[in-house]
Amino acid sequence: MTTRRPPRLALAVLDRWLPDSSPLAGDLTEEFERGRSRRWFWWQVLAALGIAAFRRSDEIRPLRLVDLQPVDAQERSRRRLLRFEPVPLTGTGLPGIGGLGVVALALLVTLLAPVLWFALVASMLAGIALGVVIIAWHRRRAG
Amino acid sequence: MGRQLLTDFELMILLAALRLGDEAYGVQIARQIEEIGGRRVLLGAAYAALDRLEANGLVSSTIGNPTSERGGRARRYFRVTPRGLRAVRHTRDALVALWQGVPQLEERSP
Repeated sequence: MTTRRPPRLALAVLDRWLPDSSPLAGDLTEEFERGRSRRWFWWQVLAALGIAAFRRSDEIRPLRLVDLQPVDAQERSRRRLLRFEPVPLTGTGLPGIGGLGVVALALLVTLLAPVLWFALVASMLAGIALGVVIIAWHRRRAG
Repeated sequence: MGRQLLTDFELMILLAALRLGDEAYGVQIARQIEEIGGRRVLLGAAYAALDRLEANGLVSSTIGNPTSERGGRARRYFRVTPRGLRAVRHTRDALVALWQGVPQLEERSP
């Protein structure tokens, strides 16, 4: 008997973006082994990510007419205060170029095509000049 | 005052968990709602609701043993707490009270 392997990339995405999703990943794997399609698997993973993105994990939403706050409200508030966003310094992360990446890019431009710096400064000055012209034009129309 | 009323999805989840007893975990709860309740369920939405219910003390959860058919991941079993049971009863009472005295709902379709 051959066992089907669930999409590894989907599981990696789930593990990466939903750290506490091990039971969910297990449920999805169990359903996949029972015959669900890869498309269904991916749809469930993307939906879970979407739901998590729109749901504040530390949200304290009492049900209607609830007279008591959740038992772990204080702990969740404390964790929220301690939470900080990591800053990528190596420039290797896919979501964006980090600090070292920007420095490396600047060095490359300086060494290989220094004329691009002049183009950058010229475009900045042109942008400023254009902005001044637009503001002056609007003031003249308003007056 | 102080009565807890549930949303329709939360009510379905609690009822499914009560029906399943000791076998109430994510997939089974979703399957019960789909097969008996006739509502499609995203597993992510079910877990989001279960997390919320647990934070409000209406369910509790325990982690089972990892199994190979789940890729070495454990099941998370849910159990309705006495407070959750009270919330289900209160919600049912509120719905039944609202149901009564509505003429449009008293006629049965053939």
